[in-house]
Amino acid sequence: MDDRLVIREFVQKLLKRKGDGAPFSDSEQLLTRGRLQSIDAVKVLVFLEEKYGIDFAETGFDQSQVESVDCIVAMIQTKGT
Amino acid sequence: MRIVPQFDTYPRLVNFGQSASGKAVLLGVFALGLVAGHERLWVEMTAAVALMTYFPAQRRLIASCGALYWLIFHGEWLQWGFLRDVAQAEGQRTDWTLTLLVYGILAAVFFVIGLFFRRVSMRPGSLPTKRPVLFLTAGFALLLAAAALLPIGGMTRVLLWGAVVVMANYLWYFAYALKDAAARTPDGPLLQLGTLRPFWGDSPLPFTKGAAYLRKIEAHTPRDLSITQLKAIKLLIWVAILHGLEQALHVFVYGDPLTKRFWFIGHGDWIAPNLGVPTLQAAILTPALPLPMAWASLIAHFAGALVGIAGYSDLLIACCRMAGFDALRGSYRPLQSQSLGEFWNRYNFYFKELMVEFFFFPVFTRYFKSYRRIRLLAATTAAATLGNMVFHFFRDFRFVADMGLWPALVGFQVYTVYATILGLAIGISQLRDPGRDRPGSDARTWRRVLASAGVLSFFCLLEIFDQEGRSYGLGVYWSFLLRLFLIRN
Repeated sequence: MDDRLVIREFVQKLLKRKGDGAPFSDSEQLLTRGRLQSIDAVKVLVFLEEKYGIDFAETGFDQSQVESVDCIVAMIQTKGT
Repeated sequence: MRIVPQFDTYPRLVNFGQSASGKAVLLGVFALGLVAGHERLWVEMTAAVALMTYFPAQRRLIASCGALYWLIFHGEWLQWGFLRDVAQAEGQRTDWTLTLLVYGILAAVFFVIGLFFRRVSMRPGSLPTKRPVLFLTAGFALLLAAAALLPIGGMTRVLLWGAVVVMANYLWYFAYALKDAAARTPDGPLLQLGTLRPFWGDSPLPFTKGAAYLRKIEAHTPRDLSITQLKAIKLLIWVAILHGLEQALHVFVYGDPLTKRFWFIGHGDWIAPNLGVPTLQAAILTPALPLPMAWASLIAHFAGALVGIAGYSDLLIACCRMAGFDALRGSYRPLQSQSLGEFWNRYNFYFKELMVEFFFFPVFTRYFKSYRRIRLLAATTAAATLGNMVFHFFRDFRFVADMGLWPALVGFQVYTVYATILGLAIGISQLRDPGRDRPGSDARTWRRVLASAGVLSFFCLLEIFDQEGRSYGLGVYWSFLLRLFLIRN
């Protein structure tokens, strides 16, 4: 499946679990808007480590890297294996 | 049900807020809100916000000028009284030369941090530039230890404590600036200046974080600005309500004179009928206090803390929004929290964000990666326990100056227990991760109410140990906790 679709599905699941079924665009800043919280950023981080083998130990992790679907996809393309 | 109407969703108001007269009305309402909230600097604050409203393209530059203006003309947080005492004790002059000296230290600190910022943004591979915040905090710890322990006197001692005062007040602002320096397209030093104790945030805790956050939340169109300013007005109304609640708590629960809390009532010492509840500190120090009073004191203190932190942080955020930055609220419906972690996130959002950015993620991405549960617990305690302790110990450096380093550390035991319990409890709560209930049947509503009650009870009891003073040992607070449950020790 396309990376973007995989990420969208994962983010959608996170939002749904919080009772947030409102639509969102790929560029929507979900953390800045308060729709996702830092604990959700942790879940995205673990997902990226496990699914794409990205290691944040060296480069560090910034919540803004997982701010939106677009940001996550861009990061996978830059850091992904 | 909403207490404050959703002005920002009314199309006619949003359109009106974009016109010149609409902007003037919003600014007028904002000024009135500041006056009602007893904001001493309401004229300057309104003037700064007005400039940013009418010259939106220069907003960040005006923010930098505002930060500089506030530093020069309203830098009370530089703790002049303390520095004068140190200078006097060391036989140094306390007149304009001390002022010049402190601003000289400020310039030197800014210069050094500026150099560090430049090196980090150039991304060389050395450890200090890879882990700038670690080096920043370690550097401050060494500075504080040097000021407290080195056998020095005279001007050197004044200089050292001056540097401690400056660094303690800017430490976490510098941390966000250095984090931004490592970003792909950081702001330059001039725009960074506006994020270092911005004029809306007079606190050692960076409300609205740093430049990266401001870039994301800045209003870029007249419509965005109008909506953001309407949200600011809405928040100011909420702050006024919270302020009223806080005053009512003091009058009707603690028995403060009405005239002390509600200035418009007049003069004299009018005492309204009240519960006569003692403050938590007094209750803790009074073993013979009847049990209901002890409980009432704890609950009133917790309620006061909730209302106080929300009122304080939301006022700052209202000013920030009025300036055109749509920041999230500092405290958002903490009573609805379903878990301990959620409460911590909702209660004091920007403090939690600071801990998450600089303590949680560095540990989570580096250690115990093969052990999922230990990893989460370690990172959570790094933030809620270690980070929390570091923040408060550094912020309250005056205890080190007054008591000496070792007694200040020993006196920190009560807060250490508070932070340890907090970190472990949030960590365990996150490991359980029970998920969220969706709005639905009555049974689920009851479950939600019970979960919230459990969370609030925990934090209310923990409030006993949330003591930032250093006068009493742990036993005093522990004994009070036992007394609440009729256990005598």
